[in-house]
Amino acid sequence: MDRNRRAELLARADADDVRQLAEAFLSHRQVATELDIIAPPEVGMVMMQVREPVCKERFHLGEVVVTRAEVAVGGARGWAMRAGTDRETTLAAALLDACAEHDSALGSQVDDLCVETKARLDRARHQEWTELRSTAVSFEELD
Amino acid sequence: MGYAAARGGLKAIEAAERLVARERILGESSWLESRQMIEKLRLAVDRVMGEGGLWDEDLAASALRQAEGDSIEAAHLLRSYRSTLPRLAYTTPIDVDDMDVLRRIVPAFRNPPGPQLLGRTTDYTGRLLQTADEDTLRTAAEKMAAFLDEQVTPEVEVGHVVSGAEPTDDERRPRRLLELLRDLDAVVDRRRTDDPEPFDITRHPARPPATRSARLATMARAETGALVNVWYRNILGPDGYLHEITLGEVRHGRLPVKVVHPITGDEISVTEVRVTEVEAIEDLDGIEEDRGRFDVGYGLCFGHNEKKAIAMANLDIACERDKGRSFLEQSILLTTDGLDASGFLEHLKLPHYVTFRSMMERKAAVRRHKETT
Repeated sequence: MDRNRRAELLARADADDVRQLAEAFLSHRQVATELDIIAPPEVGMVMMQVREPVCKERFHLGEVVVTRAEVAVGGARGWAMRAGTDRETTLAAALLDACAEHDSALGSQVDDLCVETKARLDRARHQEWTELRSTAVSFEELD
Repeated sequence: MGYAAARGGLKAIEAAERLVARERILGESSWLESRQMIEKLRLAVDRVMGEGGLWDEDLAASALRQAEGDSIEAAHLLRSYRSTLPRLAYTTPIDVDDMDVLRRIVPAFRNPPGPQLLGRTTDYTGRLLQTADEDTLRTAAEKMAAFLDEQVTPEVEVGHVVSGAEPTDDERRPRRLLELLRDLDAVVDRRRTDDPEPFDITRHPARPPATRSARLATMARAETGALVNVWYRNILGPDGYLHEITLGEVRHGRLPVKVVHPITGDEISVTEVRVTEVEAIEDLDGIEEDRGRFDVGYGLCFGHNEKKAIAMANLDIACERDKGRSFLEQSILLTTDGLDASGFLEHLKLPHYVTFRSMMERKAAVRRHKETT
């Protein structure tokens, strides 16, 4: 899986699933011994700048709380940023990213989690549209 | 202005705080969960995030609970927390056309590009207070929920403009009415070719004359009631500025939060936030204006808060037309921040003994002076 897409899906993956897979990877002796924490999980903000459509100007809408972390496994860097303040899960997501870069067998397990996450997001989106489309309206004009 | 600080009273302050906490935490009802507030008091949580200038539903719900439902106090708590956090990054410029709509209406135009989706709203429902007892209300709500769950394919009104079970891009991200007006050459073109850096109101106070990005950012985190009040004065005319406006777009939807991946250098989306967006079409009628065309104001804020976004869009175009001739921009920049206004107001409750004693002494001195002259 493309690294960018993997980061996007690990950012949205179920927290329990991310932590469980990371714990399973840490039971691998090689992962545990070759793990370096480059940047421990840090809670902070991302300033959201938007480009509005009238004058095509940028302005600051506000900030979004995120947590980010960076690790390396056997020299392969892994990075994650997730919404919210969950340090443990963000660190686990960075670990999964690094493992996916470091070892193709572990990478396929991370890919499975990402595919599962995408399927869940697609289902939610489909269900959302099913409900939304029933509210589509075409008001009649009175003469 | 000045007031003297007081000291002491620590035990009484702690006891007072315990009284609040006991009812908030225990009371006679069960613990109020954040998830309950996010789901069932959605608009209140959204308002706190918007006025706090910080998106995080869990933290906003927690603030609302701690503030016993006072939205301004909750926004204050969120801003205080925010001041402890580092800014890790800026998003890449988010194109608002990337919004997946959850609701989209075009009051100005019956057949706009893309569908009109009412979404989750009671706009067209009578405001009747539900006075039945709680058991009856709960049973009715459960029946309604079961009905919705059983609907595999909800009925779709004949004559609507949506297609199949899967939405097209134009249905989730409809083309704007503004673009149609541009095609018809019916709107003045204010699109800029330069790309000025946005003003950061969290680092510097915005003061008139301000850039448009400073005004938009200020209104995006303004207190809803304050912004609606400034708009209402402006639209009704006591400030001498009456104008006619129609809403083009009213949208509630999800925008991606995109950052640059530090390893690949590419743009990725790490989460989404819900926003409300409004475009207000203004009838230009001034002597120096292009009276053959319309102009458009813009509003965008965190969460689902249509009152705020509508007021913002109206005030954006009002400021543009006003060009600093009235106090409008000053009112927006200096009086709509909930934390500023309530902070000043709340401080009046603190002991002002020395200040007031000084005032009393001045009054006595004036009286003495009058008696001797």
